[in-house]
Amino acid sequence: MLPQNHFQKEKNWRNWNVAVTGMNASPESPGPGFAVARSIREHRHFDGRIIGLGYDVLDAGLYSKTICNGGYLIPYPSAGRDALLERIYQVHALEGLDAIIPCLDAELQNFIGIQSELKQLGIKMLIPTREQFTLRAKDHLAEFCKSIGVDAPETKTITNPLFFDECEAQGWQYPLMVKGIFYDATVARNAYEAKSIFAKLVQSWGYPVLVQKIIPGDEYDLAAIGDGHCRMLGAVMMRKRGLTDKGKAWAGVTVVDEAIGKVAEKIIRGLAWRGPLEVEVMKGYDGKIYLIEINPRFPAWIYLSHAVGRNLPAALLQTLANEPELDLSPPKPGTFFIRHAQELIVELAEFESLFVNGGISTPIQEEPLEVSLQEHDKFKAAS
Amino acid sequence: MTMAAAELLKELSKDDRLNRIAISDTGFIFDPQTGQSFTLNRTGLVTLSILKRGSSIDETAEQLSHQYGITEETAVNSVEAFLLQLGRYL
Amino acid sequence: MDSSADFTDIGTWEPPFIQPHKMGALNKFGQRTVRDNITREVFGVPVSDLVRRYGSPVFVVGEKHLRQNIRRIKTAFQQRYNLAVHGWSYKTNYISAICRILHQEGSLAEVVSKFEYEKARFLGVPGDQIIFNGPNKPKDILRRAIEDGALNQADHMDELKMLEAVAEELDKTVKIGIRINFDTGFTEPWSRFGFNLESGQVNEAINFISRSNHLRLSSLHSHIGTFVLEPRAYAEQVRIMCELMRKLEGVENVAIDTIDVGGGIPSRNALQTIYLPPEQAVPDINEYADAICEALLAGSRYRKEIGKDLPRLIFESGRAVIDDAEVLITSVVGTKRLPDGRRAAILDAGTNLLFTAYWYNHQVKMTRNAAGSEEETVLYGPLCMNIDVVRHSISLPPLAAGDQLVISPVGAYNNTQWLQFIEYRPNVVLAQESGGCSVIRQAEDLGVMMAQDQIPAHLASFDVSGKVRPLNRSGNHPVLNRKLV
Repeated sequence: MLPQNHFQKEKNWRNWNVAVTGMNASPESPGPGFAVARSIREHRHFDGRIIGLGYDVLDAGLYSKTICNGGYLIPYPSAGRDALLERIYQVHALEGLDAIIPCLDAELQNFIGIQSELKQLGIKMLIPTREQFTLRAKDHLAEFCKSIGVDAPETKTITNPLFFDECEAQGWQYPLMVKGIFYDATVARNAYEAKSIFAKLVQSWGYPVLVQKIIPGDEYDLAAIGDGHCRMLGAVMMRKRGLTDKGKAWAGVTVVDEAIGKVAEKIIRGLAWRGPLEVEVMKGYDGKIYLIEINPRFPAWIYLSHAVGRNLPAALLQTLANEPELDLSPPKPGTFFIRHAQELIVELAEFESLFVNGGISTPIQEEPLEVSLQEHDKFKAAS
Repeated sequence: MTMAAAELLKELSKDDRLNRIAISDTGFIFDPQTGQSFTLNRTGLVTLSILKRGSSIDETAEQLSHQYGITEETAVNSVEAFLLQLGRYL
Repeated sequence: MDSSADFTDIGTWEPPFIQPHKMGALNKFGQRTVRDNITREVFGVPVSDLVRRYGSPVFVVGEKHLRQNIRRIKTAFQQRYNLAVHGWSYKTNYISAICRILHQEGSLAEVVSKFEYEKARFLGVPGDQIIFNGPNKPKDILRRAIEDGALNQADHMDELKMLEAVAEELDKTVKIGIRINFDTGFTEPWSRFGFNLESGQVNEAINFISRSNHLRLSSLHSHIGTFVLEPRAYAEQVRIMCELMRKLEGVENVAIDTIDVGGGIPSRNALQTIYLPPEQAVPDINEYADAICEALLAGSRYRKEIGKDLPRLIFESGRAVIDDAEVLITSVVGTKRLPDGRRAAILDAGTNLLFTAYWYNHQVKMTRNAAGSEEETVLYGPLCMNIDVVRHSISLPPLAAGDQLVISPVGAYNNTQWLQFIEYRPNVVLAQESGGCSVIRQAEDLGVMMAQDQIPAHLASFDVSGKVRPLNRSGNHPVLNRKLV
């Protein structure tokens, strides 16, 4: 099932087969995967294949023929590492992967868990260690900020919604930011709203839930790559200019702000971060910079990095390939992005293929997956 | 029950309704009139294919009973129950 | 799209079925389990042998596994803090053989009620090896515990007063502990148990003890929650307890020699409200031991400077010790399709035996290779109650009546919280370390179920006139074969 020339071709990142996760792209809250894939596809030197990995038959990126060469469904993060590894073996047997770029927080621990197996197969990933991942997690962030001398809004981990009735007496004044352990953050203006947000978050992401004090100020985001040796590669900064009601930027403009860059450098040094990351900060009206969140992946607006000549997803592949020089232009402020929705056309047969076989560039049959799996066991044993 | 199933079959056969349903041998089916898609189990796929050829309940049951080696009574019951399900969705 | 009616593979017979696709969460690989989701033996014994010999359902405990667990956990604590002692939390699983195994391994008995206290003594545990916790200790049992030399840890002021009264009656000086509660900032405080620190109840208790003629405070106890996934919570707990210990140095009638951190350390089970699978969500026991012992060493270092001994550390892990050392084997008694298209199977064990199924998604393994594709399946128990669901959604191949499933981990709380509702409780079997199996709790039968029932004379017959007409010729109770009251 492997492409004929997979092992013969002289490989460098330009002709890699790259799998990218997070291909969900609903207009109100798109995953980063589609934008990561698009950035790589449009890089002038990239001539390889891009394989989308998704969690739902309605993940738009899986169907995009202009960006992806194939799309596959993978098990939910809650199914655990073994289920993921088995599925990646199958996809690898069909596609011959060179690199995977995980783009969602909730799946990262599984990818960390299968990293050594993938390495044996020659599949590269630039991802953090479990320890790095944990230190920056939302429920550890305040502690971490303290350790590197960065300001952060006060945050509390809660499991009991009764907190919202009593919190004002404890110095937690509304409005408050209520956050899920992996995703979603919503402003609650009173106890009633807070409890309903709490219930929804628990339903989606389980316990605990985080409550964060709101800092009045302006929101900025920074995307970069940590090389694992305390070096920050290619930061791109963006001021949010339009927010969806989920708090996601649907418009923004590149900026260059040294102070924000310094915060990001401190983080990358403090963690020896390896992999892409997004740093969300609030520039308070008090003049201080507050760290709101560190996301262990590229943000959904990462295509903006390509637009300013600092294509970070491509730079990630170059880093994995040990390229001596990354082709990054100097930072360039003043480039806008405005996110808009567009309809992707999907044929019934494609939908059916993804639905029935869990993949799109596969023939519409059940058997090949099983056959490839057996083949792959041999392959695995040999490697 | 029997009456209801027979009537449903009649209703579903009207205007070529059943015949326009797109069936894939993976069990994936698509109803062009409602835009809904469905999954059929293997026996559902076989049963629907027979019904689509214009077979009656008894003819369908007879064929199933022959193919699977089950009693005709079981087959009739199953076809009727299946028609009631189809009636709910189609 | 092929609309021909001829299929090379028509499959085996099952009622034909159509299922509409609901948008959202459509992913046939979403919940999928790994290919080797099959186990033919548990703790080295073939499942089929166990069912043949002991029936279905049946609980099976692995002795070797249990001993390995407790040794690993004890080592984790003792190599970091050599004064660490384990207290076996009886309520987690008080089947006699299991308690005996843990006592053989050197664990104290941690009991929380009159029944548990009496059981520990019945099993031969000396009084000074018993920690007596819990909010309800009637006077007679408190007196016995004091006479036996057990460590009573008081939950509230009325208990302290009762302790004082009993000690006075016995004219004894008694070493006691108090349970305290406080906010660690990581878990919701369990403020209904013990004396609250922040609001001054602890001070009140200490004042009472320091004025007492008979009570000596020697132990501080707290228990921050259950299935605590955050080792930092324990570090904070110990820090707060040590701070209190230090403040109490020199207080009349107080000489702390024990810090009891309670339990709450999780097992590798999948709590329904935690998103990630347990192998990612549950930290290793060494992380807990690290957090607790480091904080204790730091918090009690001052004692060396003032020439005092370090306190003993008691930890009362139950779940982390026993949960994965026990499985439940259950059989499918029937299958059906639900109206919404999901597969369903009815098992001979439900929440009557698996009380923890209300909170956990237990692992379910097949015992044979089943043909057919995996589908979302609901597993129901045998009770006539809508809430009797063992798994609400699990991806399994088609099940058939007679199939055996292995459910794990089930060692914690199921053999103590199980219900007698409409079913007999089954055998619990020990797969012995030395090989072979033995029943450690016999299956119930009608005799067990009737043993406590008594029928007043006027109900001795079905005759409403009240005339006593015995139900069988001998005049004895037909089941128990003894005279009715």
